[in-house]
Amino acid sequence: MASREEEVRIRRVIACFSPGYGGRPELVARLAQELEAELLGLFIEDVELLRFASLPFAREIGIASVQARSMDVASLERQLRAQARALEQALEAILGPGPTGWSLRVERSSPLVAIEAVLAQVLEPALLIPPGGRLAGERRRVKKKELTKEALKQWLAAGRPVIILPE
Amino acid sequence: MSAPLSPGLLRRRCDPSRLGFATTAELQPLEGAPGQARAEGALDFGVGMRREGYHLFAMGPEGYGRHSLVRARLQAEAGRREPPEDWCYVFNFDTPHRPRALKLPPGRANAFRDAMARLVEDLAAAIAAAFETDEYRNRHREIETGLAERQERALNDLGERARADGIALVRTPSGFGLAPFSKAGDGVMEPEEFGKLEEKEQERYQEVIGRLQKELGDVLHQMPKWRREAHDKLRGLDREVTRTAANSLIDELKAGYADLPHVQAYLERVKQDTLENAAVFRQAKDGEPPTLFGIPLPRPEGSEGPFRRYAVNVLIAHEGTGGAPVVYEDHPSHAALLGRIEHVAQMGALVTDFTLIRAGALHRANGGYLILDVLKVLSQPYAWEALKRALRSHTVDVRTLGQELGILSTVSLEPEPIPLDVKVVLVGERILYYLLHAWDPEFPELFKVAVDFEEDMPRGDDDDALYARLVAGCVQREKLRPLDASAVARVIEQQARDAGDAHKLSVRMQALTDLLREADYWAQTAGREVVGDGDVQKALDAQIARSDRLRERLREQIVRGSVLIDTSGTRVAQANGLAVLQLGDFSFGTPHRITARVRLGSRGVVDIEREAEMGGPIHSKGVLILSGYLSGRYAPNKPLALSASLVFEQSYGGVEGDSASSAELYALLSALSGAPLLQSLAVTGSVNQHGDVQAIGGVNEKIEGFFDLCRERGLSGEQGVVIPQANVKNLMLREDVVRAVAEGKFAVHAVGSVDEGMELLTGVSASEIHARVEARLSEFAQKAREFAAVGARIPWRPGKKK
Repeated sequence: MASREEEVRIRRVIACFSPGYGGRPELVARLAQELEAELLGLFIEDVELLRFASLPFAREIGIASVQARSMDVASLERQLRAQARALEQALEAILGPGPTGWSLRVERSSPLVAIEAVLAQVLEPALLIPPGGRLAGERRRVKKKELTKEALKQWLAAGRPVIILPE
Repeated sequence: MSAPLSPGLLRRRCDPSRLGFATTAELQPLEGAPGQARAEGALDFGVGMRREGYHLFAMGPEGYGRHSLVRARLQAEAGRREPPEDWCYVFNFDTPHRPRALKLPPGRANAFRDAMARLVEDLAAAIAAAFETDEYRNRHREIETGLAERQERALNDLGERARADGIALVRTPSGFGLAPFSKAGDGVMEPEEFGKLEEKEQERYQEVIGRLQKELGDVLHQMPKWRREAHDKLRGLDREVTRTAANSLIDELKAGYADLPHVQAYLERVKQDTLENAAVFRQAKDGEPPTLFGIPLPRPEGSEGPFRRYAVNVLIAHEGTGGAPVVYEDHPSHAALLGRIEHVAQMGALVTDFTLIRAGALHRANGGYLILDVLKVLSQPYAWEALKRALRSHTVDVRTLGQELGILSTVSLEPEPIPLDVKVVLVGERILYYLLHAWDPEFPELFKVAVDFEEDMPRGDDDDALYARLVAGCVQREKLRPLDASAVARVIEQQARDAGDAHKLSVRMQALTDLLREADYWAQTAGREVVGDGDVQKALDAQIARSDRLRERLREQIVRGSVLIDTSGTRVAQANGLAVLQLGDFSFGTPHRITARVRLGSRGVVDIEREAEMGGPIHSKGVLILSGYLSGRYAPNKPLALSASLVFEQSYGGVEGDSASSAELYALLSALSGAPLLQSLAVTGSVNQHGDVQAIGGVNEKIEGFFDLCRERGLSGEQGVVIPQANVKNLMLREDVVRAVAEGKFAVHAVGSVDEGMELLTGVSASEIHARVEARLSEFAQKAREFAAVGARIPWRPGKKK
């Protein structure tokens, strides 16, 4: 039985990554391979986060350690660079110079703005995976024009992938 | 003077016409071993006695059929017994380094192994299928989603409470942070905006953030607990799914072993283990191998990877075998007896597991009989100790020699010992039995049954016919041509000769079989279908011809005069003694010149062989007896003023035995009496202090040795051999010797005393000889007294100082 992705031939996979949301670049890369679609990785350096780090009393509470640590912009910048590099290496390890085309873009803005900007350039049909989004489960299908700012915000909050169909 | 022995006494013939058959094909082959009633009785007792320590030691020389008789008896007994249990080693789920030993009824171990292999295949398929069902996936997803939602909800709730206080919950790379919202409501407040706030406002924000941080910490502290709960649920789900898939399969197998509670217990443990290791079954069997730093690890040969723990290592299976096992271990090393633990190389390291445990001879013989050559056991390092330990403890404990000696400290297997019920039969020389008995205190406790093999059997009137049936049995077993009656008669005579007794037959089965095989060969060479006496004789002659090079060289040296032996004439103080040389399995007799010198003195009889350290203790004893004879016979009441020396002339090797003591005495008496001895006679026999001539060994070889020399020089009719009367019964001389005696060209004299011997050798009466000797010794005594008197009159002079 053909999957629904096969019924709609997906040409691009847009995978968004953001600090604090984790994400599984290996799984995303394999998905793109399976779908024979071009992968566009989008690493979003959230400006809200940078702004938070510049506050004098900014403290981060670790998920695993549950310890509060002071945060500053310089250390955050270092962490962001390290994450972006690790992401690129992970994608390179799987996709490398293989038949599946891929690229990684680093954007410093809010997630909403960054995704809107990418969507404006992308050819449909495409699979959009939000930061920290789960790959398994039902995937909603929307037409590009239905993805208003408000809809995009809700969709980002839900953290579910969505298939964007042509107009 | 004693008359020579008649030809009829020199060889006890076997009359072919009295055997009552034309060829051995007509005979009922004799099974078993004639003449071994004592050994057979001991064997029957030892085999039947099922008490502790009643293991057997079959002793006797090589080639007397010890192995075949023992094996035949054991096999007969084993055939009447039920086959013993099968044994397997399986994984020990509780203590993996101590593999469990499983006992199964005979013939069921292989089936159990196959059933377990099938079970593993079925489990892999069934469990993998169960985990692929929608039900499992949905429930799995439900648990995962539940956890994610719970965490999300907690964070969202906190985020909402923070928002109400104007605080934003921010995701950071490693966690969360809290920051005030900007007044414009477009995200996190800029630092400049915060700086412009009144100090009181800033403090309020910081106070709220501090409180929220504490709440956030509480939430985050809960998360590991929630994850654990979710994992427990997932594990429970996995167990439930596995149980459903596996239970029916394992229960079905268990039902087949309802009569074996320990097997059922093992299967129950397998069931638990599958639940605990369900993930193993979810992976493809031939999937990716395990890796070490990214390098794939090779799996051991035949390995089923993670399923190896469910394999069954059949150590001993008695499938299709009837009766108890009878095992002969030809190379009884420590490992060959107790079993071994093999290893396979993996990434340069040697690893092992319970499937690499291999059975030893004790395992294979368990429930039956084990035959071992004792010399081989004793020659193998630590094998004897290991065998005794196993017999004492009634268990076979597979341990490597390294473990045994404590020289290996690496982790290895310690397989569960297997109960041992075996009857061990050691086969070896008598000397080993007696040495072990004397020096190993455990030996008599463990090997209580001595099975002592005879080397010959009586040769009564009916025994030749019985022996003919034994020959027929050998012929049949070896698939040889049948022997005619004359050939059998020749074989029987040879076996009597081999026994060294006209009234006994050798039961050295190896020699008998060899003779029959070789006679068969010569019959085949001559194109005969039936083996005749000529073929047997040819086989015997060929055997001798292959071995008698040294005998020929020795005789040649005598004939050419390099070694001085007279075979005619007379000479004072010189006698021909006879010795037997044993080279391998060939022995022959050869004459030796024995001379004596006497003079006045007080040293008695001096054995030059002993002085030169070339004489053995028995020979020295024989010479010392001569002193006793002389003292008792000629000087019971006066001092023996004699110094005499005796020597084996041209003897360059050691001399042992006392069979030449009569010849030495004749030479000594000749020297004292001045009566010359006939050199045409050779002498053998030992003497005691009373002058009785006693039996010796190898009488036939000795007579033939002198006869061959005389024939080489030309038989004069005067030549012959003087033997002890007690050895007449041992005479089984060659046909040519008997013929020469019958024709009056050679003679064999039997004497019972030194007097008879001296009369034969000197032609002088014994009384005359004794008178002359006595006179000579009296003369010596008188002179000694005179010397002593002269010595007493000479004044004492002190020695010069240096």
